[in-house]
Amino acid sequence: MTPTDSPRDALILGGNRIPFARSGGPYAGISNQDLLTAALEGLVARYSLQGEKLGEIAGGAVLKLAGDLNLTRESALGTPLDPRTPAVDMSKACATSLETVLHVSNRIRLGQIDSAIACGVDSASDSPIEVTPRLRRILHRAFAARTAMQRVKALSAIRPADLAPVPPRNGEPRTGLSMGEHQALTTAQWGITREAQDELALASHKNLAAAYDAGFLDDLVTGYRGLARDQNLRADSTLEKLGTLKPVFGVKSPQVAEPTMTAGNSTPLSDGASSVLLGSAEWAAERGLTPLARVIDARSAAVDFAHGDEGLLMAPAYAVPELLDANGLALQDLDLYEIHEAFASTVLTTLKAWESEEFCRERLGRSAPLGAIDRSRLNITGSSLAAGHPFAATGGRLVATLAKLLHERAKETGRVQRGLISVCAAAGQGTVMLLESVTD
Amino acid sequence: MRAGHGAAAHAGGAPEQVKDLSDVPSFPAIYAAALDPRSRLGGKRGKGGKGGAGGGAETLPSIAYRVRKVRIDAERARDFDHLMGGPATDLVHPGVLHVLAFPVSLALMARRDFPFPLLGLVHLRNQVLQHRPVKVGDLVDVECRVRDLRPHRKGRTFEAVSTILGEDGEIIATDVSTYLVKGGKPSAAEPSGTAPSSAASAGAVPSSVASSAESAGATGANASTSDGGRSRRDFEPPQPTGRWVLGADTGRRYGAVSGDVNPIHLSAVTAKAFGFPSAIAHGMYTASRAFTEARVDLSKPLRWDVTFDAPVTLPGSVLVAFEDDPSVGTARCVGWKPARGEKGPRRCFEVEVTTLGR
Repeated sequence: MTPTDSPRDALILGGNRIPFARSGGPYAGISNQDLLTAALEGLVARYSLQGEKLGEIAGGAVLKLAGDLNLTRESALGTPLDPRTPAVDMSKACATSLETVLHVSNRIRLGQIDSAIACGVDSASDSPIEVTPRLRRILHRAFAARTAMQRVKALSAIRPADLAPVPPRNGEPRTGLSMGEHQALTTAQWGITREAQDELALASHKNLAAAYDAGFLDDLVTGYRGLARDQNLRADSTLEKLGTLKPVFGVKSPQVAEPTMTAGNSTPLSDGASSVLLGSAEWAAERGLTPLARVIDARSAAVDFAHGDEGLLMAPAYAVPELLDANGLALQDLDLYEIHEAFASTVLTTLKAWESEEFCRERLGRSAPLGAIDRSRLNITGSSLAAGHPFAATGGRLVATLAKLLHERAKETGRVQRGLISVCAAAGQGTVMLLESVTD
Repeated sequence: MRAGHGAAAHAGGAPEQVKDLSDVPSFPAIYAAALDPRSRLGGKRGKGGKGGAGGGAETLPSIAYRVRKVRIDAERARDFDHLMGGPATDLVHPGVLHVLAFPVSLALMARRDFPFPLLGLVHLRNQVLQHRPVKVGDLVDVECRVRDLRPHRKGRTFEAVSTILGEDGEIIATDVSTYLVKGGKPSAAEPSGTAPSSAASAGAVPSSVASSAESAGATGANASTSDGGRSRRDFEPPQPTGRWVLGADTGRRYGAVSGDVNPIHLSAVTAKAFGFPSAIAHGMYTASRAFTEARVDLSKPLRWDVTFDAPVTLPGSVLVAFEDDPSVGTARCVGWKPARGEKGPRRCFEVEVTTLGR
């Protein structure tokens, strides 16, 4: 079955997110469940979903407390949705909410459900801090003890060092290198300049600021905790200001001759949540909702970064050509590109790889490169460098943004608009998706 | 089973004796014995015997130590896997077999007729050939021997060979550790240029059993072009694929799962007592961790070859680079200390794992 043989469309009907905050900012002391509930409540209010029993809510968080095993369900129960709406939690690092969109859209296309919310949330401010594995095992032994003596004996094994708290690991478990260090190697390998990265970062801030000013985000974002716009947004940023920042990644790597990655051209740790409403054409029509776009297809890929075969964040460079081929499209056939800005250099290495004859031949087995894209179609309302990047919330932000852009442009031009979403993720993974505009 | 028998044996001549031990010996007892002054002063050792490696006529005892029906402890294997950062597998990491056999060969080397002091040995190289997988809970026999005494430009080398056998008597794995006995001069008949390949790693680390401070590593850079070119100066680090951040407790944690509590690995204080500026990581810890990260199919026969160079000091970090060659089923890992100030980068170990019979 080709994607177009799908029984019916999964339509994107709208989205809602809360402004993204920097870690330790206005959402400090606020939990994942608080953030996700806020995003969902805004969506319910915007699309009058009070009392609606939806087919499914799929959500997730990357930095997740063990007690949040049903984070999405618990969050949904805090909204005016029908409490009989089922929910599922999913996780795929930074691609989490792109995967939740894919999951529910597939279910809608297969006719298993008629409506759904895909969502994601993360709070770097409230990330889990665990006990050491040794203390955990000692405590389990103590809990399992039958007598007080056994319990005392188990607990007596505790040493002071066991009591040190364990914060989330900053880095890839298999390599010990942080994501920034990995990307610094890739950046150097592809020769991406500091200037190019700063220019991309600046464009992200300018584009997002312009989008806010134009009211584009009015029906995509609902304020929360006194925050009306993304806290990280610097509307007045300049290349000069960005140029003063010191490199932070790759500075200790002898393989990186000239470190280029700064806090300005890398995403900050962030807090936030996003959600997307999807449904079948019938379900939307019954409620008078206007479909914005349909999910055409998606692919995921992974690379072997652990043994150095490929850069950690390069998986989308492989997934996108596969997605395009499956749908008979060239890279240049797309009207808009949303490439997640984990780092400015991630976007730039991906684009450069597609322009590279050698990469496309050696790595993708293609006779010709995919070629360059029209950069005026890339991240035109800003992306993660400006908005911030609460890991599991980014996919939802991208889908809602692109769906609305495609719909608007199709109305303006009278032509069907297609857009690409590309998200890289930890552990060498990537998920990419094609959307197509829907107009009446 | 007195010392005289083994020591009197002519190399390759006398029939080998086998001594059955009732159980795997404990490390602390062996190390305590090794520290006993009587065992260090070589008066009662084999022929050549001045404890150190001064002479050239020592012979290795022609005896095998054997322990039968040793159960591979599931909890110990689990702790070993977890320490290496891998999942607890039912098929046993060959490093578990190494630590199972190590005290047995150590006990053999602590014999009075063994010609070299135990705490003066430098682990140059380790080679494992595993023919078939072993499961946790399996019973195995362990046999250990020493053999192949050869001249080396920095002294002599010999091999400690451990054989792991299944209940059916078939060989499961052979583990060959090459040790350097420092000091003395190679005999005139065998110039250093003909040193065997196993001795080619010029600047070897004092590893599992080790001796004095700066060790072979300090002088290793001076001369090595003739036997493999592994000079420190030649080393150009590849693009790293990872970094191991090793805490001060790395040696204690490996000591806890391996039982190898050689004081040079445990703490800065105990290491200083033996002339080291700080504690150093067990060589087989780095080798075993590289094995785990090489993502080997444990159900297949395999080779696991390790050479040690500069010591990994604790606490500290090493950069590693993996390189796979799927065409021959090999994963290679080199680990090094990055350049610091005047000091250039120094290779610490090189590990190669090959899946056989694919």
